[in-house]
Amino acid sequence: MSTDEVESAYFRRTSRWKLIVLLLLVALFVTVLVSLNVGYAQIPFENILAIIGKQIPFLNGAVDSSLVLPTEAAIILQIRLPRITAGVVVGAALAASGVVYQGVFKNPMADSYVLGVSAGAAVGASFSILFGAGIALFGFRLVQVAAFLGALFAMFLVYNISRVGSRVPVTTLLLCGIAVNFFLYAIVALLEVIAGEQLHAIVFWLIGGFSNVLWADIWAVLPFIIIGTVASYFYARDLNLLALGEDQAQHLGVNVEKVKQILLIFASMVTAAAVSLSGLVGFVGLMVPHITRLVIGPDHRILFPASTIVGAIFLVVCDAIARVIATPFASTLELPVGIVTMLAGAPFFIILFRKKKQSYAL
Amino acid sequence: MVVLLNVDGVECRYGSVKVLEDVSLSVKEGDFVGILGPNGSGKTTLLKSISRTLKPLRGTILLNQADIYSLRSVEVAKQLAVVPQDSNIGFSFAALDVVLMGRNPHMTRFQMESSRDLAIAKKAMILTNTWQFAERPINELSGGERQRVIIARALAQEPKLLLLDEPLTHLDIINQLEIMDLVKALCTKEKLIVLAVFHDLNLAARYCGSAIMLKKGKIFAAGSIADVLTSENIKGVFGVDAIVQRHLVTNSVFVIPLSPQKPLPSKKCAVHLICGAGTGTALMKVLLDEGYSVTAGVLNVLDTDFETAQFLKIPVVTEAPFSPITEKAHNSNLEMIRKASMVVLTSVPFGYGNFQNLEAAEEAVSRQVPTFVIEEVPVERRDFTQGKASKLLLKLKKMGAISVKNQTELLDMLHVSAEKQKVIKDDAAKLLCHMRPREETEQKNKEEIV
Repeated sequence: MSTDEVESAYFRRTSRWKLIVLLLLVALFVTVLVSLNVGYAQIPFENILAIIGKQIPFLNGAVDSSLVLPTEAAIILQIRLPRITAGVVVGAALAASGVVYQGVFKNPMADSYVLGVSAGAAVGASFSILFGAGIALFGFRLVQVAAFLGALFAMFLVYNISRVGSRVPVTTLLLCGIAVNFFLYAIVALLEVIAGEQLHAIVFWLIGGFSNVLWADIWAVLPFIIIGTVASYFYARDLNLLALGEDQAQHLGVNVEKVKQILLIFASMVTAAAVSLSGLVGFVGLMVPHITRLVIGPDHRILFPASTIVGAIFLVVCDAIARVIATPFASTLELPVGIVTMLAGAPFFIILFRKKKQSYAL
Repeated sequence: MVVLLNVDGVECRYGSVKVLEDVSLSVKEGDFVGILGPNGSGKTTLLKSISRTLKPLRGTILLNQADIYSLRSVEVAKQLAVVPQDSNIGFSFAALDVVLMGRNPHMTRFQMESSRDLAIAKKAMILTNTWQFAERPINELSGGERQRVIIARALAQEPKLLLLDEPLTHLDIINQLEIMDLVKALCTKEKLIVLAVFHDLNLAARYCGSAIMLKKGKIFAAGSIADVLTSENIKGVFGVDAIVQRHLVTNSVFVIPLSPQKPLPSKKCAVHLICGAGTGTALMKVLLDEGYSVTAGVLNVLDTDFETAQFLKIPVVTEAPFSPITEKAHNSNLEMIRKASMVVLTSVPFGYGNFQNLEAAEEAVSRQVPTFVIEEVPVERRDFTQGKASKLLLKLKKMGAISVKNQTELLDMLHVSAEKQKVIKDDAAKLLCHMRPREETEQKNKEEIV
């Protein structure tokens, strides 16, 4: 390739990135629409479009919804759409925080749960399931609030144990995260042992899923996720530089300790909000960033938004698969999406990894 | 405005261990300063404190009168670039991506690289000979290529001050020279300040204008490279004997370190060498290493063997340059031989100037001191005394001097391992090529004329 082509390829980079994001957004939209069609009740596609169209301001007048049954509208708007929206929000949040953690830690094993966020959330959720099921706090479900607070508590615990003066070495963070994870999971195991009839609910929460998600649950976490994700994206270029190592990032003008702290706090907040909504959905935060990086490269300025959208698509698809599998058994069986993410995602990742492993290094 | 770096009274600690103490230096634009010293002397720590990685406990570091620790990271990065020993880059960025990261301090948070940034990166990559693999992933490059990319990144920062921490560790000779030529040229043309940690003293000597030498965190010597790189300083800091000379061709100082010497002779046996013209040089070193105490004489000042003896601190009886051996020197030589338990006579050429050395050997033989005669070159070929020397040597052998074919045979007799004998050169060829007895040369000339 001639040198001029290299240069012009770099000039075209921005527009190529915009195109990637646009295509992914279209793919997400299509995925959501198709996913709305999946489920026990067979609802015609044109009815789905009509129901959705009715909800869009300024457009609703032009939509003819005379053929839509009220139950169909209720299923779509009150059951499927909140569930799918939760999938979008949680998938995006976990993938975004996964990108941040992998970037900050420079470690391929890092995922959204690396700072003990999952274990903290699990302790909070298990406690509230055992001792306070059904209680609402400020209009939010206690499980959700407890999981969110538990996750943030674990994160601050790990963070403060690891801190040396004003510095937070990443290796110490990783090790403290592992230690705190083990400790908190021991508490969860203890709660499971004494749970009795509530064990089923705890196990379900730990695997992660979207059954019975309400709009209110989503609105409760959405601000945290949007603020945290957008704020993290501001530091995309710093994440690139951190890949060189902290010293070199510092030499290139990154205020490493400050950026690291900001990113870890925002990413933990995003993860905590996501798991409080869905429980511990695994795999997304670890593998979606890897998969996206394999395809579009390591530049966080595109990797971050692309992973976020891919995470959303991935989780919506997995949830749709979970519902398809459950359909023959009517509503008696609920398949948690966390099982599907791992069953479907891991082989896919391994195939992709084997295909491209020569050029992939982390 | 002249760009200046002032380091004043810097002290750094790792925990309670003091690694830098009261280090001060002042450097101005266009200076190429080498930082020298053994492992653990604080070289890298000094660079770290200047590059804001390790804040000193005491002292100040001023770049253009501004304390670098009061500036923002970005402000420092616009003026100061660092090339580390080794780079382990987390993700497989393209080489050009890595170089473009050097533009980071010049960009605002939401800016993309402009065409100007790209042009600067391209220029840096062409200078470092890396543009041809601009699109290759950095992790797939060889160590040398990667290091050149990192140097390109530093140049893309357009710094005023360039810190190099043993930047050549992973480079082969041609890359080392190319990179250092480049840095040197930039230093001169662009008025950069270059501070570079070197392990290779000769590379430092070749490129640095000045240097500081650190020992245990303190400055041991500072000044022009020739003032710093002396055998006394090298001995003082590294504890290694080294020959320091000016190179005949490059006219830069060059250093030849020698293996660390054993402090005391381990064998009680003293060997006296009768040598000259470089025939004793290798033996002196080998015998010393074997633990013998070695003496030599009589040697003319400026003779190669004399210089070696000086360097190895071997006691030697001397005579003025190009002068025949005087009675006084001869007597001192006999004095020394009397103390020796063994005498070795090398294949030195004999003329009227050093004939007395042969008489000294005769004295040794008659005193029953074991005397070895190395006959690498037949005595007739190195006899410039009309046969007197040949005759005396023959007499010596009859009296009991032990004749050996060459130095190797002698050392084998002394049970010196083959490994240690490697310093032995084939002196015979050299000597023979220069020394043809007159008759033979004349004969040859006649033949050629015919």
